Amino acid sequence: MEEFDLLRNVTIGQYIPTGSAIHRLDPRAKILAATFLILAISFNTSIIANLLFLLVTLVLAKLSRIEFRYILRGLLLGLPILIFIFVMQFLFLGGVEPAGKIYWEWGWFRLTRYGLQTMVISLIRIVSFIFLTSLVTMTATTTELTHGVERILQPFRRFGVPAHELALILTIALRFVPTLAEEAERILKAQASRRADVSQRRIWRPDKAAKAYLPLIVPLFLGAFRRAEDLVYAMEARCYVSGEGRSKFVLLKSSWVDYTVIIGAFLFMLLMALYPWPAVKEIFSGLGL
Amino acid sequence: MPPIIQLQQVSYIYNADSEHPVYALRDVTLTVTAGEYVVILGHNGSGKSTLAKHLNGLLAPTAGNVLVKEWNTKESNHLRAIRSTVGMVFQTPDNQIVATIVEEDVAFGPENLGIPREEMLKRVDWSLEQVNMSEFRHRAPHLLSGGQKQRICIAGVLAMQPDVLVLDESTAMLDPMGRQEVLEVAQRLNREQGTTVVAITHFMQEAIAADRVIVMAEGRIVLEGTPRELFRQVDRLRELHLDIPPATEIALALHERFPDFPADILAVEELVEAVNLYPTRRTSTDLEQVTRYGQEKQQAKPQLATYNALITMHHLVHDYMRGTPLQVRALHDVNLEIRQGEIVGVIGHTGSGKSTAIQHMNALLRPHGGNVTVLTHDIANKNLDVRELRRRVGLVFQFPEAQLFERYVGDDIAYGPRNLKLSREEIRERVRRAMAAVGLGFDEFKDRMTFSLSGGQMRRVALAGVLALEPEILVLDEPTAGLDPEGRAQLMEHILALHRAGTTMVMISHDMDELAKICDRIYVLADGRTVLEGTPGTIFAQADYLRSLGLGIPVATQIMRTLAAQGIDVTPAPEDAAAIYTTQQAIAALTQWLAREQSQRNEVRNGRI
Repeated sequence: MEEFDLLRNVTIGQYIPTGSAIHRLDPRAKILAATFLILAISFNTSIIANLLFLLVTLVLAKLSRIEFRYILRGLLLGLPILIFIFVMQFLFLGGVEPAGKIYWEWGWFRLTRYGLQTMVISLIRIVSFIFLTSLVTMTATTTELTHGVERILQPFRRFGVPAHELALILTIALRFVPTLAEEAERILKAQASRRADVSQRRIWRPDKAAKAYLPLIVPLFLGAFRRAEDLVYAMEARCYVSGEGRSKFVLLKSSWVDYTVIIGAFLFMLLMALYPWPAVKEIFSGLGL
Repeated sequence: MPPIIQLQQVSYIYNADSEHPVYALRDVTLTVTAGEYVVILGHNGSGKSTLAKHLNGLLAPTAGNVLVKEWNTKESNHLRAIRSTVGMVFQTPDNQIVATIVEEDVAFGPENLGIPREEMLKRVDWSLEQVNMSEFRHRAPHLLSGGQKQRICIAGVLAMQPDVLVLDESTAMLDPMGRQEVLEVAQRLNREQGTTVVAITHFMQEAIAADRVIVMAEGRIVLEGTPRELFRQVDRLRELHLDIPPATEIALALHERFPDFPADILAVEELVEAVNLYPTRRTSTDLEQVTRYGQEKQQAKPQLATYNALITMHHLVHDYMRGTPLQVRALHDVNLEIRQGEIVGVIGHTGSGKSTAIQHMNALLRPHGGNVTVLTHDIANKNLDVRELRRRVGLVFQFPEAQLFERYVGDDIAYGPRNLKLSREEIRERVRRAMAAVGLGFDEFKDRMTFSLSGGQMRRVALAGVLALEPEILVLDEPTAGLDPEGRAQLMEHILALHRAGTTMVMISHDMDELAKICDRIYVLADGRTVLEGTPGTIFAQADYLRSLGLGIPVATQIMRTLAAQGIDVTPAPEDAAAIYTTQQAIAALTQWLAREQSQRNEVRNGRI
């Protein structure tokens, strides 16, 4: 129905102010804690640990007081990727040895126990992953995030990490997201007014799809280049220099709550990494599968 | 006062090494004195923006020198000092804001200069106060209006504490309100802080307040002087494709009839005063002739015979981001009716919902409440053939040239007809007709590179792209915004010709003088509701109400109101004065009034009464 509400399903990156405890955290604490949590789950192959992790994420979502179905929308965006991974795993994981019990076999295709286990785990993992990242961006403004990233990277400056430049690139990118999205919407509408058929998405014919989208892409890029050129002038006119000799406007302050959160997340990571979680095959055999 | 910027025989050539060098500046010599308010006028391509970029060393001259205080802009070790002395604000506010929070953007300059944090906080506070934006300091810039954004950009420059403020066409993309806001800030800084202001613009109206006006054409300074000196040379200004402020235009017309009426008038107040003080020494006037002249000019629009409503909106409601926590209601209750053969104006402040409302006219948006009928189709109907509807109702967006995408003009205009799956010959024919309708010769322009055209030409190509669908109704969202006077005049001419050829039109505009001239009826929108409807006369008669909505009134109406407030009733019945809204009507009415006054006094003197 809403042909042109482009950004409605992009919940990642959309700040939702509810004033919850999570919103009030120092952005550095949020980023660090989220990083630890993601690391914690990335290397754990236990289904129990993964379920526990999903539970933790859901609790955090609850704490943020953001409507649940709104966070779920972010999943919609990840759905094509989820389906792709699922299909790939379904088709090809059967060939991996050891396979465990084989449920079904047809030509080169096999449905095996370990294959199935891996599929379930990666599903949980990706879902919690999307949940967690949406949660960070929904509870922190883009400025908080960029300042957080800059300060976290600051100590690595001496190893040649351009902390300030990275943060500035991020800021400018985020700054122009709404501007370019608006422009994209306007161009789409204008071309639709000239009878462009924007509703047909021919994904199975990428050549035709690309051609159909030229009237959108060309003006969008031209506009972006024009803006970039203007921005360079504007920044130069305001004496932009990178690196040394700059002062900082924003101060970040953290309290004991922030440290507790960071340490908590760190401990959780250790728990995930070091505790002898029952491996997958033991559970499956325990269930008699 | 010492000179603060000196340009010494400056020339600048774009693409100097290529086969087609472009001479943007030729031998320009100019001195700006500290504390001055200088306005640089010129149509697009006159070299005025290139000149601006020389003032703070963004461009270095190909020949000649630019000195800011004692520093030459060619020496890169002085650039920091130069740029913190000469602050510059550019045309598009969106493209110069770096940060995602207002106060952080203002702090960007001081951060670059390494100003200590304590001092920086003070400067940010002070700068935001200067532009009246303190309460918006924690907002995201993309949620502000154009005028507000541009004021943030000014604050960002002020925080560097410059001696000179350069406004490089900073008002070109703004609506009249925003333009006013920016100008007030610049004038106040000049007056109270002693900031030198150099404003580059193509709006004549902005030159009135300047100490000195410089007119550029083809990379050279062609006229220079005080505003009054300049506006005396009306013929020369017309030659340079610059427009004349309405008050000056009226004064000139009166001066033609009554040679002792002053011709060098700039502002509305001056005109009113001149009418007030008009000496009645002339001995004889051909009253008959003057009256006839007035009647000729005051031609009324023919009354419409048909009463066929093509578009109706009843209690239209529309929400943005519907179904999300960010849902906002953009339209609460919009009611309007567009009848066959009309030109209908839609006015309202930024955010009043006018753009949202017109997007229902070709089903780009669907109603969330109320109903919309367009050419007998119900827009809420899910099975509506939207593509067919969009052929019959052409919608031209704001700044439509930003949507051009084909390399060649002809191809871009052919995009619509091609989507109609017409034959080659038919497509060609339609492109030819559409181009003719906007005054672009088919053979001359069809193979031109789209992006090498001037702004005004690109705008007309974009309009032709919609006309090629041969719509019955044409909906235009601020068709002349951002164009220079010449481009604006040409475009309006073609729009009027289309209307005379039978196209029904809906037009959003902020230019009240423009609307006054052409509209049959006007709708006023405020906060997502229709609040007024009527002929231009009845709408502009409610000047106080319009002003409370942040809208202006035509200059002619302004003059009549000021005169009436001083007890001068130019028309026999005071109500008629309120209904005067075009420059031509004002000239006619004033001519009649002056002649009548004169003959009465003559009669008194001759002892006949």
